[in-house]
Amino acid sequence: MDISKVSNEQKLKLCRTYFLAGWAFLPFVWTINVFWFFNDAFRVPPFPEQAKIKRFVILSLIGAVIWAAILSTWVIIFQTKRAEWGAMADYMSFIIPIGKA
Amino acid sequence: MYLGLISLLILLAISLNIAIAVESRRVHDKIYTSISGASCFRRLNGTHQTGCSSSQYGSTGALHLIQVVEDFEFLLRNPPAPPYAPMIPPHLFTRENIMRLKEQGTSSISAVLLIGGKEKVTQFSHELTCPNRYSGLLLSESNETATCDTRNPENAWNPWGSGLLHEDFPFPILYISDEDEVNKLKSCFEKFNNYDYEGHNTRSLCSVELQQFMVGAVSSEVCIRRTNFLNNLGSTKYCDPLEGSNVYATLYPRNIQPNAVNGQANETNITDEKEKFILITCRMDTASMFDNIALGAMDSLTGYVTLMSIASTLKQYLPSNSSNLTKKTNILFVIFNGESYDYIGSQRFVFDMENFDFPSASTQRAPITFENIELMIDIGVLDEISTINVHTLNKTDKAEEFVRVLNSQSQNFNINYQLNVGNNIPPTSAQSFLRKMKTFPAIILNSKPQNKYYHSIYDNAANLNFTYYNHTEQNYTKLISTEEALQLFPAESVQMKIRNASTSVALALTQILFNQGPKVKGYASPLLIDELLHCFLEAADCRLFKDISPVNSLPGPPFPPMRYISVLMSPQDASGWTYRLMGFLLSDEVDTPEEKCAPLPLQWIAGPKGVGECRHTTNNYTYALSPAFLIDNYDWKSGEYSTWTESTWTKLSARMFLRPSRVHEIVTLSIGIVVLIISFCLMYIISSRSEVLFEGATSSSDALSAPTAC
Repeated sequence: MDISKVSNEQKLKLCRTYFLAGWAFLPFVWTINVFWFFNDAFRVPPFPEQAKIKRFVILSLIGAVIWAAILSTWVIIFQTKRAEWGAMADYMSFIIPIGKA
Repeated sequence: MYLGLISLLILLAISLNIAIAVESRRVHDKIYTSISGASCFRRLNGTHQTGCSSSQYGSTGALHLIQVVEDFEFLLRNPPAPPYAPMIPPHLFTRENIMRLKEQGTSSISAVLLIGGKEKVTQFSHELTCPNRYSGLLLSESNETATCDTRNPENAWNPWGSGLLHEDFPFPILYISDEDEVNKLKSCFEKFNNYDYEGHNTRSLCSVELQQFMVGAVSSEVCIRRTNFLNNLGSTKYCDPLEGSNVYATLYPRNIQPNAVNGQANETNITDEKEKFILITCRMDTASMFDNIALGAMDSLTGYVTLMSIASTLKQYLPSNSSNLTKKTNILFVIFNGESYDYIGSQRFVFDMENFDFPSASTQRAPITFENIELMIDIGVLDEISTINVHTLNKTDKAEEFVRVLNSQSQNFNINYQLNVGNNIPPTSAQSFLRKMKTFPAIILNSKPQNKYYHSIYDNAANLNFTYYNHTEQNYTKLISTEEALQLFPAESVQMKIRNASTSVALALTQILFNQGPKVKGYASPLLIDELLHCFLEAADCRLFKDISPVNSLPGPPFPPMRYISVLMSPQDASGWTYRLMGFLLSDEVDTPEEKCAPLPLQWIAGPKGVGECRHTTNNYTYALSPAFLIDNYDWKSGEYSTWTESTWTKLSARMFLRPSRVHEIVTLSIGIVVLIISFCLMYIISSRSEVLFEGATSSSDALSAPTAC
């Protein structure tokens, strides 16, 4: 969808929908929100709805960054400690590596 | 005319293509030469993994021939083009050298090849000096073995053992016995590697790639847990327990007990306390470091053949009806499988006996327990037969009497039996019984260790000095006198030595059970021993195996049966032949025609006369699978039962090719990247000047009209 052809109210509605959707454990929706509405929030000359769009974009950005931090921490911990955890790590894994611990 | 020319050209192109296509398929064969050999693979126990494995997609190493110990220095002191794959002759394949490769060669050694050629080898055993030291009788409150001195190898049961079978190697090891393959490798090494060692990192080197990736890892506990773990993405089998069958047979058929409840193993099965047995046992398996090569001639086959000879001789010495015996005792022969791996067969047998599960209820015979066994005679290793030690844990009258009778009966056989009381018990199946009950009446016949190739690939017919005499006209189970025997075999041959040992034991048992000598004349037949040794050491398509099999069954393969216990899915031919041998040697011939000679225990076999005969057999199998795999939540670290498993693998292969040097690879990659960049630049330049270069072309975006709506 090309938002350059869409009216400002619809832009606001879209941005808000995406922001609310991201609360359902969907951080990638927030990331898309940020990239999609970045121009409209910060680079385009001011229009009435821009303040709200800016708020949604910033909140989505914060949410996406927090999620990224949590996920990368978990991935790093699991990848480094999986071999030490033994049986518990096996029960957590879908694919257990072959030929090594 | 043009049509003709064009069709001719097309024909020419097609034929050229076909010619080149045939040539091009052989280019792959020109690059890679496959190498066949026996691989070392991974086995795991409750706490450790042992053996070798390659990396997942193959381990590659440049060949380097080792001829003296100093050649190892080149590999371990910063070699110019790692990784390398040393080719080691057997006399340098020692614990010291291989452990050095493991510890110091982590980055420079990726594979090891053991090149056949036994000329300079004086000893080659990779079993521990104290085999099965963590199972069997242990010192109280510790897991040290009570029966073997681990600190003093000279007094141990395997003095020449290096223990490499129980080490874990990060690289694959391949044993190449075929001389042609070895020459292929050596000539490739001479042609490409064996000069200008400083320049190794700038030229192509002759290398091998070994694919021996082992799926199981860490320990049996982990790999069995992962195998049993069900998840949606399908299951992978990481390892299989070592599993096989024990074979047992009785001299006299036992009574049928129809009220034995099928499948129930508890007190409702009544054992008959008055039924007494003498248990005679040995082991049927052996072990080695490399896949499919394990003959075990001296370490287990001599004991096995001795037991077979005793069985055949006793069948003829003792009366066919047990009511004529002075002591109403049956003789139970059991041949255990898996004894090299912490007594798999005997531990399971003892476990079954404790649970009233031997024989199983489906055989409709009363269970046998420890109380039914009067004496256990366990035949260990008989490396030399002039002095046989009779080991027993406690000094008992029964043991002393047996030794006395043995010595009195072996006057003509040049064997001296010596009673040996105490903890100095060899690593044989009796340890599983003594572990449960120290007063169990077990005696073990074992001689002083002389085998420098215990549990190795070189424990073969040459180690026994065995030659097959192949006396074809004779009836090989008939008892013959010493004079006749000496006409067929020299007195120092291994056939005569085993015959001496088995006859003396058979005479002693006859004396004990019958209170007099045997009524028939003659001694154990060395012809049977000759046939047995030939079948198990040289080829399974032998006369004896054909005679004991059902009529018109397929002949055995032209190589000896594999006697390593392996896993459930392997052919298990050693236990199959043992079953048939016990069936033949201990059965009575009955006069029943072929149609009525069924079901078991009646069996119709080809027989030595070749016309087929019906026999009433007394043999059967029992499972040889460690109880550790049957008990829920077994504590894998407890060491109570054998926990050995074998890792699974997808393929085992090896090939030889020329590996380009690192410089060559970098140059190729750089050229590729440069070409890529140049092509991008060229495309950009061309496309930005496309109006100038291509006349009449309009800009491509003009072709499309602007979109009117999304």
